[in-house]
Amino acid sequence: MANDQATFYLTQFIGKALRIHTSDGRVFGGQLKCTDKDRNIILALTYEYRAPSAEAIKKAIQASGNSKAHVDWNSRYVGLVVIPGEHVKKIEYEESSMLQGGKSGVVL
Amino acid sequence: MQNKVHDITGKFTRASNALDVGQLVKDEYFTLFESIGAIEIMDPKMDSGFLQNNETLEETYDPLTPLLPAELIGIMDQLLCYEMAWHTGYPLSQTLFTSIHMDRLLWPEAKVLERAQFYRGEIAESKRPGTLLEVLRAYCLAVVKGCDYVIAKVQARDYFEEEDFCTNTYHRVLFVRVPLDVFERELDAAVELMEETDLDIDDSLRSAIITRLNFRKAFLRALDIDLPLEQLSTCWPHLLESLDSIRKTHDLGNPVPGAFSTKMQRRLASTVPPRPVVELDFNDALEKLQQLCIDCSEATRFTDLPLDPLEYISFLCTFANRNPTPLPYSRSYLATILFHPDILNSPISLPLTDTKSFVFPAPTSVLDPINWTLSPPLNPLHPKTPKLQLAMLIDEFTDRTGQPYLDLWVALGQNHCRLRRMLAHVVVGWDMLQADAVSVDSDLHTVCQSLRLGGEIMDSPLSTWVYIKKLWMMEKFILLGFEQDIYLPDEFAGMYYFLHLLASRRVATLQKCVDHGTARMEEFARTGNVHDKQDTQTNLFFIDAELQHATAISLLAKALYKYYTVLLYLGLLPIPSRSRTFCNEQRRYELRMKPFLSLTPPEVPPFAAWSTALEPWGSYAEPGPSLVVELRDSASGLWRGIRGALDGVMEALGKVEGYGAEVCKAGGVDVAWKGGIVALRDCCVEAGVEVGVVREVVEGGLKEGDGEGKGGSVKVLGARVEIPGEGSQVGYFGGWVVAKVLRDKE
Repeated sequence: MANDQATFYLTQFIGKALRIHTSDGRVFGGQLKCTDKDRNIILALTYEYRAPSAEAIKKAIQASGNSKAHVDWNSRYVGLVVIPGEHVKKIEYEESSMLQGGKSGVVL
Repeated sequence: MQNKVHDITGKFTRASNALDVGQLVKDEYFTLFESIGAIEIMDPKMDSGFLQNNETLEETYDPLTPLLPAELIGIMDQLLCYEMAWHTGYPLSQTLFTSIHMDRLLWPEAKVLERAQFYRGEIAESKRPGTLLEVLRAYCLAVVKGCDYVIAKVQARDYFEEEDFCTNTYHRVLFVRVPLDVFERELDAAVELMEETDLDIDDSLRSAIITRLNFRKAFLRALDIDLPLEQLSTCWPHLLESLDSIRKTHDLGNPVPGAFSTKMQRRLASTVPPRPVVELDFNDALEKLQQLCIDCSEATRFTDLPLDPLEYISFLCTFANRNPTPLPYSRSYLATILFHPDILNSPISLPLTDTKSFVFPAPTSVLDPINWTLSPPLNPLHPKTPKLQLAMLIDEFTDRTGQPYLDLWVALGQNHCRLRRMLAHVVVGWDMLQADAVSVDSDLHTVCQSLRLGGEIMDSPLSTWVYIKKLWMMEKFILLGFEQDIYLPDEFAGMYYFLHLLASRRVATLQKCVDHGTARMEEFARTGNVHDKQDTQTNLFFIDAELQHATAISLLAKALYKYYTVLLYLGLLPIPSRSRTFCNEQRRYELRMKPFLSLTPPEVPPFAAWSTALEPWGSYAEPGPSLVVELRDSASGLWRGIRGALDGVMEALGKVEGYGAEVCKAGGVDVAWKGGIVALRDCCVEAGVEVGVVREVVEGGLKEGDGEGKGGSVKVLGARVEIPGEGSQVGYFGGWVVAKVLRDKE
């Protein structure tokens, strides 16, 4: 990809809601503020989400007796974060339902 | 419609690979400065959510674990420790919120209080919490509500998050909407549970737990933000009694360290790196709690003060000076009483009462209540009657004074360091007020002339009053600077000199008020108006007491200024070596005086005059020859000047003491007031002693640089100086620092 193309592509996500999955299994949802060649990512207004532990799932299943018992993810507000590129495992773009169908102006 | 999620990992990675080294794709308003505040994920020091190998997020401790009675006491007391640590300024995340029990009650947020349990949802009958856990729950709920009240009270007043108190609740709602009586019922029910006779528990443990529950209930009541003014004073003394028995029974408890964990911070909405839990020793915590109760109890005495703003100010100053310094909550507590509508909307205008005490000592037509009953003429083009004009002028001035006056009150309610800095701003506000007062004064003068009231008011009364107040604040600012070790020993002479200048200006201004009052009194005596003469006399006592007090300050400052000047010449005070490139005395002087450079009339002397005053015999390193002559002669102007000033201080203080606290409008705090006078006198005596020591040292051995009579540096042999600091018993009180001269042993 040429540099100007890459810059254009990345710039469209500035201020948009991204979900970054990190190497330890957490997911960070926030607005993209900044990124660079090393794929370091700065997110603002970020929430951290963490899958419940195996222990907690086991307990919930035992308690309800249903193997499809619902267990919530833990979430908390963490604000402005920088996620080092090496820990970024997956990047997702969350397209607002209001702007779906190309209205958001993002070329995927 | 759901938000659509697209996986863009691949293309995003390819795109970022195509960027140049150092190239940033960023929001144009996003700055490097902002990015510094970002938390780095996966960095164990920054990221509170980072888990070490084999570490789990969940707590291993189950809050439904049955407790022994001793363990219950242990947890209760630990919660108290954390609560007090929070009161001293640590955030909840490092204190109370490390409790797993606490966390369970608060999160996920319960819609109704019944749902705030150590579990959520349904639970098997066999796992239901037992009696002691129910008791703990009631206790925890009351702690939480207490925190809610504390936050509400502190936030309602002026406070500073970083330096005073941490109100962050990390998105936890501390039962804001649940009223007090619900918590009281929970506590009552808990007490009943404990009193059940079939509960098998040692009696000493039982009563220790009940004591704690009752204490909690009383504490919660005392913290209640809606408690009416007249009920305030009844809460605190009662609390103090129960502290003793809590202290005695503390040893019965067994700590349960598992019930608290740093890990809880991960569950809080936290934008800061994880920090260690704050451990406050139980005895220290109880001491803090006791202090809090005593201070609040003291603050409730405010409601009994006579209706006089000067009494209020004396009370505020005394409260701020309490040792140990009142906690932020206690200060907010007092401020809440002070700014209570019942106090602020008093039937009399508070600033006007203050003004009257100083500049309208005698009854005058200017303040005649009749003036306020007159109506303006129907035709606005017609002139208003002069009496109505007087009323309007006074009203205009009182309105204008309101804000600066409240600013002063707010400042007096802050912590000491903040008070000093705020005063610098308040003084500027009063300086502007003074300018406005001058114009009201001239209007007042015109109207008075038309009414032929010439002798009834003094020359420019309103601006005189503002000026007296302003000078008083500046003096306080400097004394606070000494108290907070702002000045270096080589600056002491200069700052006391400045203090002397300010206080002597206040003396001169107060003298004008006394003269005016005396003249009025003589007039009443001539006309046989006994009643008014009596009134004036009473007010004059106050003004004269203020004058004497200011005289004492002025003279003590003068004596210390001369004393420190001598020490500087004798080379007994450390003078830090300063780089000549970036610093010279004049710039340092301007920096020190910066808060006051803009004032009118100018209070800060020009640098040249300043240098002359501080270096009367030339530079400290190479003084002129007359210095030695003066130093050697015990009857010289120098020594006589110091002695005279110190004698003057004693005389003035004697007069102030003779008037008593009530005349000085410090009747509400008379014990502290008397203590202040005594301490000031002690400082004066100590200064006299030290001056004597210096004289002896000088006689004992003076080493001159370039031989007799030619000048040059002067050194004394075998002596050194010790500057007393906080906690010193002698020669140190409220900004008065008397350096001690010690002779080396021969």
